[in-house]
Amino acid sequence: MKKLLIAAAVAGLAALNAAQAAEVTLRVHYAHPNLWKNVQELMAKNFMAANPGIKIELDAPAKTYADGAQQLLREAVANKLPDLAYVGLNRWRILEARGLLAELDPLVGDAAAFEAKGYTPALRSLGQYKGKQYALAASASTLVMYVNPELVKKAGGSMDSFPRDFDGLIALAGKISALGGGIDGVWVDPHDWRFQSMLGSYGGRPMNDDETAITFDSPAGVAAATLYSRFAKEAGMKKYGGNEARQAFAAGTLGIYIDSSSYLTRMIEGAGDRFKVTVEPFIVAAQDTSKVYFPTGGSAIVMFTKDKAKQAAAWKYMMYATGPDGAKMVVENSGYAPTNALVLQDKSYLGDFYAKNENARRAHAQVSAHAGPWYAYPGAEGVAVTDLIGAGLVEIIDGADPAAKIKEVADDVRGKLKMK
Amino acid sequence: MSAPRPRLREALTDLWLAGPATVAMLVLIFIPALIVGVLSFTDYLFGASTFHWVGLDNYIELFTDRTGRRAVTNTLLYVAVVMPTSIVLSLVAALGVHAVARWSRGLANVLRTAYFMPVAATLVAMATVWQMLLHPNLGLVNQVLALAGMAGQEWLSDRGLVLYTLAVIGIWETIGYNMILFLAGLAAIPEHLYDAAAVDGAERGWERFWTVTWPLLGPTTLFVLVVTATRSFRVFETVATLTNGGPAFASDTLVFAMYREGFVYFKAGYSGAITMVFFFFVLTLTLIQLRLVEKRVHYR
Repeated sequence: MKKLLIAAAVAGLAALNAAQAAEVTLRVHYAHPNLWKNVQELMAKNFMAANPGIKIELDAPAKTYADGAQQLLREAVANKLPDLAYVGLNRWRILEARGLLAELDPLVGDAAAFEAKGYTPALRSLGQYKGKQYALAASASTLVMYVNPELVKKAGGSMDSFPRDFDGLIALAGKISALGGGIDGVWVDPHDWRFQSMLGSYGGRPMNDDETAITFDSPAGVAAATLYSRFAKEAGMKKYGGNEARQAFAAGTLGIYIDSSSYLTRMIEGAGDRFKVTVEPFIVAAQDTSKVYFPTGGSAIVMFTKDKAKQAAAWKYMMYATGPDGAKMVVENSGYAPTNALVLQDKSYLGDFYAKNENARRAHAQVSAHAGPWYAYPGAEGVAVTDLIGAGLVEIIDGADPAAKIKEVADDVRGKLKMK
Repeated sequence: MSAPRPRLREALTDLWLAGPATVAMLVLIFIPALIVGVLSFTDYLFGASTFHWVGLDNYIELFTDRTGRRAVTNTLLYVAVVMPTSIVLSLVAALGVHAVARWSRGLANVLRTAYFMPVAATLVAMATVWQMLLHPNLGLVNQVLALAGMAGQEWLSDRGLVLYTLAVIGIWETIGYNMILFLAGLAAIPEHLYDAAAVDGAERGWERFWTVTWPLLGPTTLFVLVVTATRSFRVFETVATLTNGGPAFASDTLVFAMYREGFVYFKAGYSGAITMVFFFFVLTLTLIQLRLVEKRVHYR
């Protein structure tokens, strides 16, 4: 009897220990509830079903990625950071710069085996800084062209022969603007990310590889800046704000709206029955297409926890959310492109979805072909200089000489960042 | 045990009455303001674990950097346009509504409500309405201009125009509030003063206004001046919802720059310096007005 009691007690203790060891709770932060709420809840539910013993607790979401970054910084000051967070692809560097992020390389392990799970070098580069992995991309978007086919037809063009070079695009947009009656041809935001995309289309980069010199006033940069000038002068581009441009496109008075592929669902809803929104991949201008890249917007997962047991559980979650199952959930519920190559290679995941969504297929194909990092300028003035670049582009649209202006802006940025 | 002496009891009551509000003010306003003041002499980045003392660098940057200077001049220009225009227009509106009230109370109430609407409505929602009205080719404003044969404007994206567009919205937003204040002032003017003025020969409208109404509105005008000045110095919501300070910083204002530097660029130290400058501006302006105008206010 005594032995039995002891055995029971030992067994009980062991079971308790096992339960304690297995029960890990992870707090997960995310932003943009209108885009992410459904995905996050579904992802947490499915992950917990597949991994009993790990519990996912979702923090109340922040409104935007910018708010999310602020919230995380506040939590860092109060020592209340979550274990994992979904952050904007251009914002995780802010957290890295303050030494808040866990390095992922020990968890990644063998690079070749990791790549075989669908993490191509292009996709991994979205979360790397100076050769170290700090984040895994969880959703992606690049610059695409939303086209109103009816205006193209009215202007004498056709969607079958839609221009694949900038000269053709500007000529077509000019013809649409010439239709008159408040109709205009093309609009793109004078904004750092859009500019980086055009720069990448010409094969240029905003900075050199080790981020010690500004290079966006290279010939590629001048060409990209000249595009803004030509859009305004030759294609009659109006000076809209983003909301105004989307309203104009939805109302059917703007022919070509150039912006992030993540707007896809909104643009189709906005146009309603008036016309059938058609997505065209962005134009590749460089002869040597190996140099072309499109900076990728979207989100990445980062890890804050420094506790080894929690890190193991958190890594499981990251692999699940960025693996084929997670990527499928993201794509089907959000409009973002997947960030796992397996999910695109293996038709069993998203074959049906793409068969029904030709626009999404085109937008997402561009991501896997040309995805590249969205350069975030380093240092305290990093975010501020992106607004200087935007302001320079506005002046170019207003008639400033693109080559001179972009050189002036580059010098300003060099001064602010104390770079070459 | 004897009861506390009456004086002590009185003192305790005083403390009990004034204490809670004082503590709340100290904790929620004065201490944070002091911390912001200290931060303005550092290069503290939001969320960073360390900082360095940089002396007056943040202040020097604000007044020498192109962007910083623009925020200062934009704000001064905005105040210079909004403050006088809003006060004159709201006085005119108040005189009108006051006169209407003599023969139709109902119509006066309708007018009062209409003028007060912008004050009661959520400005962010109203800003969205303005954005639609001012849309370069879909907006009502440009369509009406086109019907009249005039060229439409890019109200919110023309660098030379955007600040004035925001100023007009600012005037629209403050007229109602100021008008209500002036109406209260007008209602307090005793009728017999007008009779006395009439006896002295001031019978025409302008004479009545200049000899009776305007001097007696002195205290109201002073109050309206101070309130409008601080309100227009604080302009933020319209900038944040309509232009984001753009295009190319053309509508950047002090409070928006404060927000942008602190919460978008995470430069808490620099943002603190802007806050201090803003505080100083508003304080000086209010003091000058109080000193200058109080001397000329007859009715005290």
